[in-house]
Amino acid sequence: MSKRKLEVDELLELGTRDALRQALRRTASPILPQIQRLTDHAAGLAPAMRELRLGVVRSYTSELLDPWLGLAGALEGLDVQTYHAPYGLNFAEADAKSGLVAHRPEITLMLLTREDLHPDLARPVVGLVADEQAKLASQARDRLLAIVTAFRAENIGHLVITILPGQTGPALGVYDPQSERSEAAWWAALKADIGQHLRTGVEASLLLDLDEVLAQIGREAFFDSRLWYSARFPFAPAAAREVSRRVVGLGAALKFPKAKAIVLDADNTLWGGIIGEDGIDGIELGHEYPGNAYMAFQRRLLDFQQRGFILALCSKNNPADVDQVLNEHPHQILKPEHFAAICVNWEPKTDNLAALAEELNLGLDSFIFVDDSDYECALVRRELPEVEVVQTPARPVEVPYCLDQVARLELLSLTLEDQKKTEMYAQERIRRQLRQNAERNGGLEAYLASLEMVMTVGIDDPAPLKRLAQLTQKTNQFNLTTRRYDEPHMRRLIDASNWMVSYFSLKDVFGESGIVGLALFDLPEPAVAELDTFLMSCRVIGRKAESAFINVLLKRLAASGVREVLADYLPTPKNGLVTSFLPDHGFAIDADGRFRRDLVANPPLPDAAYPMAIEISAKSPAELV
Amino acid sequence: MDLFDQVQHVIATTLKVTPDKISRETSDKDLASWDSIAHVNLMMGLEQTFDVLLEVEEFAQLTSVPAILEYLTGQGKA
Repeated sequence: MSKRKLEVDELLELGTRDALRQALRRTASPILPQIQRLTDHAAGLAPAMRELRLGVVRSYTSELLDPWLGLAGALEGLDVQTYHAPYGLNFAEADAKSGLVAHRPEITLMLLTREDLHPDLARPVVGLVADEQAKLASQARDRLLAIVTAFRAENIGHLVITILPGQTGPALGVYDPQSERSEAAWWAALKADIGQHLRTGVEASLLLDLDEVLAQIGREAFFDSRLWYSARFPFAPAAAREVSRRVVGLGAALKFPKAKAIVLDADNTLWGGIIGEDGIDGIELGHEYPGNAYMAFQRRLLDFQQRGFILALCSKNNPADVDQVLNEHPHQILKPEHFAAICVNWEPKTDNLAALAEELNLGLDSFIFVDDSDYECALVRRELPEVEVVQTPARPVEVPYCLDQVARLELLSLTLEDQKKTEMYAQERIRRQLRQNAERNGGLEAYLASLEMVMTVGIDDPAPLKRLAQLTQKTNQFNLTTRRYDEPHMRRLIDASNWMVSYFSLKDVFGESGIVGLALFDLPEPAVAELDTFLMSCRVIGRKAESAFINVLLKRLAASGVREVLADYLPTPKNGLVTSFLPDHGFAIDADGRFRRDLVANPPLPDAAYPMAIEISAKSPAELV
Repeated sequence: MDLFDQVQHVIATTLKVTPDKISRETSDKDLASWDSIAHVNLMMGLEQTFDVLLEVEEFAQLTSVPAILEYLTGQGKA
């Protein structure tokens, strides 16, 4: 898409960071003298800026990124404090006493070149025969992992690893894709290999693919050869801007409350026009302009679902009108089953958002609200400042891309549970309906039995590490102590012989819930256990799963000689749900405010007391990443 | 705005100093913040403000206000 010239004075009139970000996407890169004015303006908008601490380890010049990092930060509401490690890939910085560690970065960006991976990469890869190429690839991968592992051992936040793309095309030119020794194929395979090793072996790490940036802005716009040869800084303004935007975006995804739901308006967001006025034949949704742009947006939303975000619909319309489009329009891609919740009425959208938050058991700070209306966007921004508002562009051709640069919709890790989220919410909607029927026809017991639930419990199993750490970070309501653990810390607890880390997943006639509960017991002395953490996803409340889970763990502890279990309830504004959990499960409060249960005087119950089969698994269920 | 005023503004913004610190005689030796990194930023800023294309050889020559003014005048920007 060609870019308009940037008119700074117009941009300085914009009053929200969302509007500024969207306007800047349509313009050519700002020039350096303009960056400071734009940064200052964005920094002054609401909400107030938060600090992002960034460390940079590099084998080429990086200080020239600072103005771009500042702008990208201000556009996200982040004040970026950057430490550039001494120039050159310096293992001395991978040390507890280094300047990098002293800076306490939340993200450490590694700027590497291909030659850092292997000196032989200074010569053509195509000059090698097949097994030499394979050997070069494993040595390059091992060298990268050695660098990454050395830094990962220190407390320097999330590692973001980049490799500078080649400044010229492949050695064989246009013939490369057909060559048996294709350079592009070799690099693609090496990248995939690196990705796999990072995913399975290096916690809190991400390969930020600069080839993707190259694809987005084009090689000629990416490199400035004068700056490279004179100052060893590779980036032209467009690249400096885009790389900075992505890095700062990762900071936003890490620091701000995790986004979980995209709440969409219908008219002029999912289709062109207004269903209540134009009728099902009059709205724009089909293979002609502008309906094809709205179809493309619906298609793009399926990609966001794959990342684990759920979709909800919030529209001011007659329910029957919207239902008609969702169920009958031939070009409607998003059907009712794609939405975790549907809210169509004439009430204020602020009330509807609050109702959706309750229905979905999510905080408003996890919502991304998408609407075309100036009125609705301004209302939500004013009344519900914790909701992030993205205004659907007025120009249909921009609509399909309007969520592509929302920083909180990027992921730093992905589990299979994330990808199946919407399915799980849809299943939950059906369960709720069935439960309502059952409650009329025979009570809760009969309903729970009809679900044929099977609980699978895992103990000290490192395989679902990402999911377990994620649960401690995301679960706020059914959580006794709200202790947050990152992956390295969780791994230490799993490996420790004096900690018992257990989780459970539930299966019923509708499907799998994925891992939805976690309990951490500290075992300081032979007959005593302390419950450090007990949490559960709200998805599975109301089925006695939490009771079955704690009971089976107490049975296991009793069998290994534990007589007394201590526990705490640490109240927060969000966990009122569990105020009576410990008393309800045989714990009594003592004078010191702590809860205790004597497992000899008050032994655990048999499994049959609960409406589900319980299995303790030796290995983790197969589909977990 | 005459040429000096424009150049003074670009240097002041890039080096983050007040314009009064930049006179028609100022060179990189006069300002602590005019280091090698700031100099590259300044070259880019001048290019973009005045729509000129600087060669790498010219980066090393344009280290003072007189040199910059002379270059831009020669490019017909006065």
